[in-house]
Amino acid sequence: MAEIQLRVNGEDVTREVPDETLLVEFLRETLRLTGTHVGCDTSQCGACTVHLDGVSVKSCTVLAAQASGGAVTTVAGLRKDENAPLHPVQDAFVQCHGLQCGFCTPGMIMSSSFYLRQEPSLDEESICHALEGNICRCTGYVNIIEAVRHAAHAMYPSLGDATTEDATR
Amino acid sequence: MIGQPIPRLEDRRFVTGNGQYTDDLRVEGQVHAAFLRSPHAHAALRSIDVSAAREAPGVIAVLVGQDYLDDGFQGVDHVPNPIDAIDATKKAFLTSSTGEIFNQLHVPLPIDRVRYVGEAIAMVIADTALAARNATEMIEVDYDVLGAVVNAADAMQEGAPRLWAGAAHNLCFQTQIGDRNEARRIIADAPFVLTREFHHSRVVNCQMEPRAAIGMFDAESGAYTLISGSQGAVRQKLCLAAALKVPPSQVRVVCPDTGGGFGPRSFIYVEQLAVVWAARRIGRPVKWTSDRSEAFLSDYQGRDQIVRATFGFSRDGRILAIDNEWIGNVGAHTVSYVPMSNGTRIMTTVYDVPLAAVHISAVMTNTVPTAPYRGAGRPEATHVIERMLDLAAAELGLDRAEIRRRNLIAHEKLPYRSPMGLTYDSGEFARNMARALELAQWDGFEARRAASRANGMLRGIGLANYVESPVGAPRERIELTVLPEGRIDIVSGTQSTGQGHETTFAQVIAQHLGVPIASIALRTGDTAFVSVGGGSHSDRSMRLGGMLLVDTAAQIVMLGKRVAAELFDVAPEHVSFANGVFSDAASSREIGLFEVAAHVARDGLPGERAKRTLYAEAEVNTRVPAHPTGAAVCELEVDPDTGVVKLVNYTSVDDVGQPINPLIVEGQVHGGLAQGIGQALSETCYVDRETGQVLSGSYMDYGMPRAGVIPRLNLELTEDPTHGNPLRVKGGGESGITPATATIFNALADALSEYGTDELAMPATPKVVWEFIHRDA
Repeated sequence: MAEIQLRVNGEDVTREVPDETLLVEFLRETLRLTGTHVGCDTSQCGACTVHLDGVSVKSCTVLAAQASGGAVTTVAGLRKDENAPLHPVQDAFVQCHGLQCGFCTPGMIMSSSFYLRQEPSLDEESICHALEGNICRCTGYVNIIEAVRHAAHAMYPSLGDATTEDATR
Repeated sequence: MIGQPIPRLEDRRFVTGNGQYTDDLRVEGQVHAAFLRSPHAHAALRSIDVSAAREAPGVIAVLVGQDYLDDGFQGVDHVPNPIDAIDATKKAFLTSSTGEIFNQLHVPLPIDRVRYVGEAIAMVIADTALAARNATEMIEVDYDVLGAVVNAADAMQEGAPRLWAGAAHNLCFQTQIGDRNEARRIIADAPFVLTREFHHSRVVNCQMEPRAAIGMFDAESGAYTLISGSQGAVRQKLCLAAALKVPPSQVRVVCPDTGGGFGPRSFIYVEQLAVVWAARRIGRPVKWTSDRSEAFLSDYQGRDQIVRATFGFSRDGRILAIDNEWIGNVGAHTVSYVPMSNGTRIMTTVYDVPLAAVHISAVMTNTVPTAPYRGAGRPEATHVIERMLDLAAAELGLDRAEIRRRNLIAHEKLPYRSPMGLTYDSGEFARNMARALELAQWDGFEARRAASRANGMLRGIGLANYVESPVGAPRERIELTVLPEGRIDIVSGTQSTGQGHETTFAQVIAQHLGVPIASIALRTGDTAFVSVGGGSHSDRSMRLGGMLLVDTAAQIVMLGKRVAAELFDVAPEHVSFANGVFSDAASSREIGLFEVAAHVARDGLPGERAKRTLYAEAEVNTRVPAHPTGAAVCELEVDPDTGVVKLVNYTSVDDVGQPINPLIVEGQVHGGLAQGIGQALSETCYVDRETGQVLSGSYMDYGMPRAGVIPRLNLELTEDPTHGNPLRVKGGGESGITPATATIFNALADALSEYGTDELAMPATPKVVWEFIHRDA
């Protein structure tokens, strides 16, 4: 058994789990943070993406024990609390219809918010590269890419008006 | 409200991680199941020794198929033969030259033989999922490996390995639709005859949510509960009840948020049956969650249809007759014949074809069972006729748009009855094509081709027209309740797997009852309160559900008028209703809808004092035809050095009827298009022809489309109104996918024409394209 100490979505947690416990299992099964999803078993789909010490990781590729001592943010922790407004990326996914079934969405949002941690390039190629590790079956990615642009404009006023980008679609 | 592109009401829970999919749920006392799956495509099971597994740590039970039969249960009847597209009282397929139409009950774990790689053989139930999985490896199975056949055409051959005693030559059925003799007579006399074979590759559903199921049994009442994501809880309930030999009232199916459907999840899976059965056996809730590797081996798959097309043309390019041979790969169990019924019904699509005939063979093979996959036969049919038109145009020296213009059904011929019996009441086929050509700048293409050529690239453009045949389950139900506290409750039989019903259904009611959209809540997916309904498939939810929403809203208005009339002391015909308010012009008296509901709660309905709810219900159980239609153009570039195909521009003009929410409709087009592009260029389930081994068993080797799959897009919605339903809904879920492989393959053939005119294999991966270009070298 391994003792795991993590700061998860701003709260300190300590739990003892089997050594082989993956971070995603720790989040989903131990902490019941089921917003982080498991969509594959080969680290391809990205549904389990979270931020570990501010860096986007696939939580199915990290042992909980490896993460111990670190800080994890999941899709449930992007906002300060449940009453806070949506994070700009969450809001952009809603506004742009960037989701359908919603299963890949938490991972898409975490990858996107990592991409947008600093002022990003908003050309299609750069955004697609940032989302290369996340698979969606419903949307064809069109509105996900749009949501990333929309969120970028909300987060970085220096980028100007979002509607000018939309013309490329 | 109808027609507005409003963001979805359900999204907040999904973007905050508060969606509730089956695997997110935990039931008190639950234990976990894992399945041992077959490593062989075809093998007799000499013996299954579960003794070591039973002793493994944490293991509660190990079950095999014989245990299921010993408990007195029977296999699942998937009802593979669908309801007819025109007459809902009939089946799609009525006769078979083989005698009867084969339908093998599907025992959840096979008794004496496995028939595809990945078929579940035994089920381990343990305290944890890991313990269950580990114990599956301790089961000893003595296999007698048999010859396998995975290709439908191979399976029909004399001497091919045979899967089921009841299916001679591996045929589920073989039937003729249309007058083949007459078609052949016309074709024999035709000035130009074209024959070609098309293989529509097998694709994996790849919904993002791996399947999961929780089974429960209440020993006191003898009632079963299944919690499991699907495309429709009612069908699942009926199938489970029949297999478990209990009345449907003894089975409850709960469908939480479902992470994608696309067709295959309309049908029940053996794991869903197995967990409820096991729950009864061991007296505890049993949970199972698939991993992605299992999904690649056991989720019902799509397509895998072969069409041998023979068309007779006049010299000026008119189709005179069609004689097609359609061979569908059913897989190892009789789950669904839908792709064959849809595909053959719509075979002539938007073209005025005097005579068409099709001979259909439904064939069993040692592969995962197939099921409807987005479009389900219509993309295949569209692909065939659109490719044939391009090939004929080249042979006859006609422009590709011109040969289509000559064959399109003229608008003045509507309502038009196709040779396959479908009646199109609307559709501006010629105008849609003209608009797509205009948006795609078809006329300026040769300059772009030349520019690409100067850069060493091969550029092509392709066109396809389409029309659909929305069919699916004909029965649907809506219950609408206006609550005094200012809320409206809708219970619908159909349910969403991502289509946004909570928003679109609310938009319809908000419009028709003049209430705020936030006051409306939709409940679905639990047979505790859903009695009837078919789920989301075949563009049916808004087509049928919308009609019933309008009906129930009208009933509510009629009831409300009676209440208001009594309160105003006037005749009901003097009461008018607008913007959620009943009023009497003469007295200027008004009362809001929710106040009416409060009156009803207190005093009952006029003349029916016991009825204290402002409530309406409506049901349909018949065909409500509507035919989404449109045209698409794809422009692409091929790199001859690498075989890489890059889509550069895609145009789609879609008549989905009245879009309730254009944002959602466009999202549906995007999603369908991505699946179509995936099938055309990258996705296929590779199965070894000799051994039946699956060679594409993960996202690492299955060509799943990634971000950037859709090129620059010109998307336009149009409408030639249908009169078949009050909301003028045709359907948007399959508009993106239906013409996709056709346009892409037409564009590819155009780009590669100097290298030959034979058919590229699907998917046209870089390897396929490179070999096509370099085969003489």
